[in-house]
Amino acid sequence: MAQTRREMLLDPLVDNNPITLQVLGICSALAVTSSLKVALVMTIAVTLVTAFSSMFISVLRNQIPSSIRIIVQMVIIASLVILVDQVLKAYAFEISKTLSVFVGLIITNCIVMGRAEAFAMKNPPVASFIDGIGNGLGYGLILMLVGFVRELFGAGSLFGVTILETVNNGGWYVPNGMLLLPPSAFFIIGLLIWAFRSWKPEQVEAREHKIQVVEAH
Amino acid sequence: MGLRNFFDRIEPNFTKGGKWEKLFPIYEMVESFLYTPKTVTTAAPHARSYIDMKRIMTYVVIATIPCILFGLYNTGLQVNTALGAYEATGWRVAVLEFLGIGFDPSNPLVNMAHGLLYFLPIYITTLVVGGIWEVIFATVRGHEVNEGFLVTSMLYALIVPASIPLWQVALGISFGVVIGKEVFGGTGKNFLNPALTGRAFLYFAYPAYMSGDSIWTPVDGFSGATALSISASSGFDQLAANGMEWMDAFIGTIQGSFGETSTLACMIGLAFLLITKIANWRLVLGCMAGMVSFSLLLNAIGSDSNPMFAMPWYWHLVTGGFAFGLVFMVTEPVSASHTNAGRYIYGALIGFMVVMIRVINPAFPEGMMLAILFGNVFAPLIDHFVVQANIKRRAKRYV
Amino acid sequence: MSEQTNKGAIRRFLEASPDSTGKTLFVAVALCLCASMIVSAAAVALRPTQEANKLKDKQINILQVAGLYEPGMDITEAFGASFEPRVLELATGRFTDQFDVAEFDDRAAADDPATSIKLDEDPASIGRQSKYMTVYLLKDAAGAVDKVILPLHGYGLWSTLYGFIAVEENGNDIFGLQFYSHAETPGLGAEVDNPRWKAQWQGKRLTDDSGELQITVAKTAPAAGKEFHVDALSGATLTSAGVDNLVRFWMGETGYAPFLANLKAGDI
Repeated sequence: MAQTRREMLLDPLVDNNPITLQVLGICSALAVTSSLKVALVMTIAVTLVTAFSSMFISVLRNQIPSSIRIIVQMVIIASLVILVDQVLKAYAFEISKTLSVFVGLIITNCIVMGRAEAFAMKNPPVASFIDGIGNGLGYGLILMLVGFVRELFGAGSLFGVTILETVNNGGWYVPNGMLLLPPSAFFIIGLLIWAFRSWKPEQVEAREHKIQVVEAH
Repeated sequence: MGLRNFFDRIEPNFTKGGKWEKLFPIYEMVESFLYTPKTVTTAAPHARSYIDMKRIMTYVVIATIPCILFGLYNTGLQVNTALGAYEATGWRVAVLEFLGIGFDPSNPLVNMAHGLLYFLPIYITTLVVGGIWEVIFATVRGHEVNEGFLVTSMLYALIVPASIPLWQVALGISFGVVIGKEVFGGTGKNFLNPALTGRAFLYFAYPAYMSGDSIWTPVDGFSGATALSISASSGFDQLAANGMEWMDAFIGTIQGSFGETSTLACMIGLAFLLITKIANWRLVLGCMAGMVSFSLLLNAIGSDSNPMFAMPWYWHLVTGGFAFGLVFMVTEPVSASHTNAGRYIYGALIGFMVVMIRVINPAFPEGMMLAILFGNVFAPLIDHFVVQANIKRRAKRYV
Repeated sequence: MSEQTNKGAIRRFLEASPDSTGKTLFVAVALCLCASMIVSAAAVALRPTQEANKLKDKQINILQVAGLYEPGMDITEAFGASFEPRVLELATGRFTDQFDVAEFDDRAAADDPATSIKLDEDPASIGRQSKYMTVYLLKDAAGAVDKVILPLHGYGLWSTLYGFIAVEENGNDIFGLQFYSHAETPGLGAEVDNPRWKAQWQGKRLTDDSGELQITVAKTAPAAGKEFHVDALSGATLTSAGVDNLVRFWMGETGYAPFLANLKAGDI
């Protein structure tokens, strides 16, 4: 085993972040980051689903027939997602209303499937569980960063607590409406990727095309 | 030539090894703005032309002059007319009273003076903030500050409403320059028009300041809808009832952003750009054709619930930012298509999208900005297909 | 061979190649059974809590529009103590006992041809309108009607807005308006949720002295006077127009007007 458990947990935070390096899970990152509270719940949900689905798949990995392995993974992930959805509806109704379909869409989150297929199928359960937690947290870290910017500058609050009193409520801050629209998360994620790659240049991909000066004959 | 000597004397400080080596872009910017670059070709074929990047940009700025002058006049006119009914306050009023210029809406020069007091702060903010970003990127990346920014800043200042707060001006141009241009590598590598990118940012970030009735003429309490918002809400035949004749819209004495209202001034600019061959006529033709044919089609279809369907093409031409966008944004060489066949398609796509957004989308009365950005995004794709089609055709010929 | 026979059947099965047809089938069936059992167990076990949540959510909205909501209060108790839900027949403006109030669902009724009508004139863009609606009567300590809470909905710019309007016992004064579900543009149309905008509704009147419906959401006050005018949301022309349409529709003849007339006459 090349990676220590510590690395499995911490690597996905920055060095191998599922969003900024692998550029997975973007869809839900756009949809659920307009407020920090929702982003936090989504983080927890995805972390739990990734960790437990990886663990269960890893337990069964020697028994899963390769011809139906993707379907088997899907069934396990989907069951867990439905569980999370049901629990949220029962115990966090307000938040489940705002998350609406996006909890269900965790099934299609590439991070979950990606970890199941790339890691859990080849590694023992505990390692898979830790890997799932790490990747969920790496996803969550970006979600929280994006959510922080969007909620603070888009609505003037953090976790629903007013920080900058907005003009509509008699304050001075003119909220930036674009940040409340999902596409703004593209810009913020893009800027984060820029920042991450300036900080760690080894993340920069090799150029696909290179402009060459060809000597004229 | 005292100035030339001055430049020659200080130049070594900025070239490689000099003490202000890092600031070379700033030196180069100032020097080449005043003098023709000294660089000469070093190898064959020594292609020479009087026209270079700098001249192109200068010509575009010259072409905007009618729009600027008319924009100043119209802004002043609208404000001075509105002032009759509302109380005059603010520093501009104090300045005008101090200079003894007054607020007579029938005197064009008085109007221009008042308009200038609105335009200058916006333009200066744009230049300073956008310029700072340009210099930062030029210094870090080691390229030269590009004159393209002069055009960008002028266009940007002409497409914002007069009442816009200056901090929004600063935010918008920052977004335009950084996200619209510099992240892609600077002038020539951007696929979006930076001025429009900045405007679009403001439009989505602060919609209440960018659309609505009370923003075009910055007088407290005054409310004046643009031709397009009247058309969208009650039908374009109501325009006359609101005191807006086609001729007013063509000449430009209506509500709107600084430089956009006058189709006439834009057309003068267009003539200049076409004669000097800065603007490619194929783009203009494509865009006009797309707009005219699609609006004729919608006229023919008709609609009971949507009055915009009945808007004829000559009204589409003179309202909103169509003329300004057509002349200065559609023809912008960097973000447009680069193939001749592609230029027709690119223009037509924009013309079609403008009418589409104006008429069919319920949320946005004006569509020129979004249509051009949409066209920008598609330009490389259009070029790709044009080139591929060409390759295929030629491959067939020489099997 | 002898080694294998020593192992139990389960052990043998586990060590068999997972790619054999038998095992593939077995794994697929077993996994599906397991997963469906877990999922349905969770769904069944949690359903009562979820239903309670939905009900509570609706009750909170009704309490809010009636101005009775305080954070941390016991919703069910507060709601049960003050509100009486009734099913109303819109055309006559009378309550009906055809349906069980607890079971009646306005939205389902609107989809059922037996209990709904297709609107010819449809300013609120709702398509079909239910002939019956659940309304909530707020009673004071003496048992007299203090306010009525009426559900309404209609199309804004991007979405259908669902909400409640609270009307005083005189059938004409508005106490409050609140939407609980919509998807309008954040920062513009979504400002229908802004408390400062909602506060405007309090004390506005629906009809003038001649009984003409006058309430309107517009940029400028109508000729009828300020007490019928709610300021449009700035920058959200179409959402404002949508709210205007839906309020006027529901307060009009095809909506609650017959009921409000009865209420005004003290005859309900």
